[in-house]
Amino acid sequence: MNDAALETGTLQAPPFVVAEAISKAYGGAQALKAVSLSIVPGEVHGLVGANGAGKSTLIRILAGLTQPDSGQIVVDGRRIAANSPHVASELGMTFIHQELAFIPGMTVLENIMLGLPKKTRFGLVDWPAIAREVAPIANRVGVRAPLTANVKGLSTAENWLINITRALVRKARLIVMDEPTAALATAESERLFGIIRELSKSGIAVLYVSHRLDEILELCRRVTVFRDGRLIGELTGAGLSRQALVESIVGGAVEPSRNRAVAGAAEGVAISVRRMSRAPKVKSVSFDLKKGEVLGLGGLVGAGRSELARILFGADRPDSGEMTLDGKPFAPRSPAQAVKAKIGFVPEERRAEGLILSKSVGLNLGLANLDSIVVSQMLPLISGRRRDALVERTIKAFAIRGAGIDTPVGRLSGGNQQKVVIGRWLQSKPKVLILDEPTRGVDVGARAEIHRFIRGLTHAGTAVLVISSDPEELPDLCDRVLIMAEGRIVGELAGDALTRHAIIAASYAGVQEHGAT
Amino acid sequence: MSENVISTRRLSPAAKAALGVFARYATIIGLALMIVAFSALSPDAFPTFNNFINVLNQASLAMIISGGLTLALVIGEMDLSVGYAASLHGVLVTGLIVRSGLPIPVALAVVIALGGLVGAANGLIVTKLRVNSVIATLGVGTILVGLSFAYSSGAPIVAGVPETFLQLALGRWLFGIPNPIIVMALVVLILWVLVERTAIGQEIQAVGGNQAAARLAGISVDRIKILAFVISGMCAALTGALLASRLGSGTTSAADSYLLTAFAAVFLGSATLRDGEFHVLGTLVGTLIIAFGFNGLNIFGAPTFSQYVFQGATLIIAVGLSSLGRMLAES
Repeated sequence: MNDAALETGTLQAPPFVVAEAISKAYGGAQALKAVSLSIVPGEVHGLVGANGAGKSTLIRILAGLTQPDSGQIVVDGRRIAANSPHVASELGMTFIHQELAFIPGMTVLENIMLGLPKKTRFGLVDWPAIAREVAPIANRVGVRAPLTANVKGLSTAENWLINITRALVRKARLIVMDEPTAALATAESERLFGIIRELSKSGIAVLYVSHRLDEILELCRRVTVFRDGRLIGELTGAGLSRQALVESIVGGAVEPSRNRAVAGAAEGVAISVRRMSRAPKVKSVSFDLKKGEVLGLGGLVGAGRSELARILFGADRPDSGEMTLDGKPFAPRSPAQAVKAKIGFVPEERRAEGLILSKSVGLNLGLANLDSIVVSQMLPLISGRRRDALVERTIKAFAIRGAGIDTPVGRLSGGNQQKVVIGRWLQSKPKVLILDEPTRGVDVGARAEIHRFIRGLTHAGTAVLVISSDPEELPDLCDRVLIMAEGRIVGELAGDALTRHAIIAASYAGVQEHGAT
Repeated sequence: MSENVISTRRLSPAAKAALGVFARYATIIGLALMIVAFSALSPDAFPTFNNFINVLNQASLAMIISGGLTLALVIGEMDLSVGYAASLHGVLVTGLIVRSGLPIPVALAVVIALGGLVGAANGLIVTKLRVNSVIATLGVGTILVGLSFAYSSGAPIVAGVPETFLQLALGRWLFGIPNPIIVMALVVLILWVLVERTAIGQEIQAVGGNQAAARLAGISVDRIKILAFVISGMCAALTGALLASRLGSGTTSAADSYLLTAFAAVFLGSATLRDGEFHVLGTLVGTLIIAFGFNGLNIFGAPTFSQYVFQGATLIIAVGLSSLGRMLAES
């Protein structure tokens, strides 16, 4: 499998970058706990771990975007006192992120040279001279688009190659790639792997971050594994196998006992989804959501779960597929129609999509319940009494702290803000409630209260769909969990088979099966 | 490092609270100070009942058009067509009465409906064609100027304007209060109740606060936006009709300058009582600041240019002070 060139003993070379005992906490949450990582010139180093394991935090620290609480970064044997994006770039570290940021409307060459010093002639940028310098590098990397082409409309694969070109023009010595193949087809991935091997041969190190273990095994001779912000180990040689990787990622943690309430009493299917597709993230998804059930949607970040949820709520239109709600055809053309059909939605980005931050708790809670707080349908004046009663009931039911009716919602803590977003649906008693990452960034107490509320809803017959990237959350909360990978449903877990371990394993297995199609 | 620099500038909680209050009441304090100053400087001419009624009368047309514009800004869009729309509808209402012989109430109803139609066109262009509202309303406004010339050939419609139409703006009602003040009071009341006290008003505020969140809460964002433009258009038409009545003629560019006044009033209002949010009562305060300022300058015989300098400077100072105060209070 491994390229012959990689078999030569480059690992003995002195390291280029070493991260030593890096710790970082966000609020009360420890994102990284004394993790270390060293990268030698010319190696392709794998970095793996489940969602929230701390990979992104470490990358941000290497890039100088975040300062560590303790620990240090050493480049070429010298300690970096104050890292910043500028310093990192000067030292030869470049970062290619999942979401590539190009400026549309500018040419390939202009984007490659963005922010880099440019040759000038008579005080004007000498593009022909720059092009002569960049062209051989672009050719070597395999950029097919002409340098003068507009970047708009180029494929994701081409964008990656342009970014690699940019890194080489900057004389990068380390290129950090975050999920490079997430949006690439197989042939494109193969092309990228070839280029990564070329880079490696010429002495450039690559830190390869991916959920796709097969790619990691194919490309990397050394793989660092994180779990829950800790360094679990560095796998090399014979110790580096798929089995060993999965075990390290998942861990042998004891499953927490599940004391779930029995599913609600109601019977029958609330919403039924058939062959739902929306390019590129959702591919022919079919499932039934039963009344009074809490159904989880597990999988890795980017598996297409949020996109599926947006279709169900009418926020996006599907390319094909159909749904029924209570047995009747249901094709919401807008969230307003979905709400009218008694579907509730708690979006992933609560500050950007869930709340009107500058407005009061009262206004935010009332939004989904305007019919119930007006004096009458004929006279749609807000009844202060009804609205106050509604808000006070919700504040009490959810223990929303620090909130009065007129408090701007932006002043509440994250957990209390999330309670407002969810609490909006308390009164309207939805038939279906869809929650996308309902407890992300929420403290333990608020999380328990949110879980209690979700379970409570099912007793009234509400069907609940919960998307969570936290594998601990789904076994706690759900009756049944569907695993999504690469836009498809690849597994279902229920009963005793529903464990944190099983969810993670199935998530990775799904990537494996469909990654090669 | 940078955090330390910020922390040394941090204010005590009391100072923060004081600044917060100042930021909210700066415009009202300014209005009060202005009235006190003018009264002291000109105790005979300025602080009289008749002069105050006169100022309100002058302010009323500006307030009606500014109130409508407030709605457009509350939902986060611009409406640059209001001045041109008011001019066109002033021409139309006189034309409909003089040339087409329509009864005055019918002519009024027609132009207000047409004003709503212009607003609907603005709203549809912004929501369905997704044209930036600055461009959309500037384009529509320019077309309206053209329509106005087409209808009147550019000549003011003066001859044959009936006395009863003039009485609309010049007449007095209840306790001798000029009609425009009564109309203004009604419009302010209706708009305030609509935005602050109705279900639709909650949706309007939500759309203005965060469009994405409003949509995901189940609000038909496009419908709300179109409604706001329709109201803005209707208010502009009403202002245009009242101005034609006050002037006794329909003139193609009579109300164009209301655009600037209205924007000044609405932005002054956004610095009033609430932190940078547009709202109807704030707009009322903004309109009064401008009206009292103009009146005072007139009484002192200040030259015309000073009115423009006053209007521009007041706007920048008031909004600037309030956002500065807010920044300090939040830091």
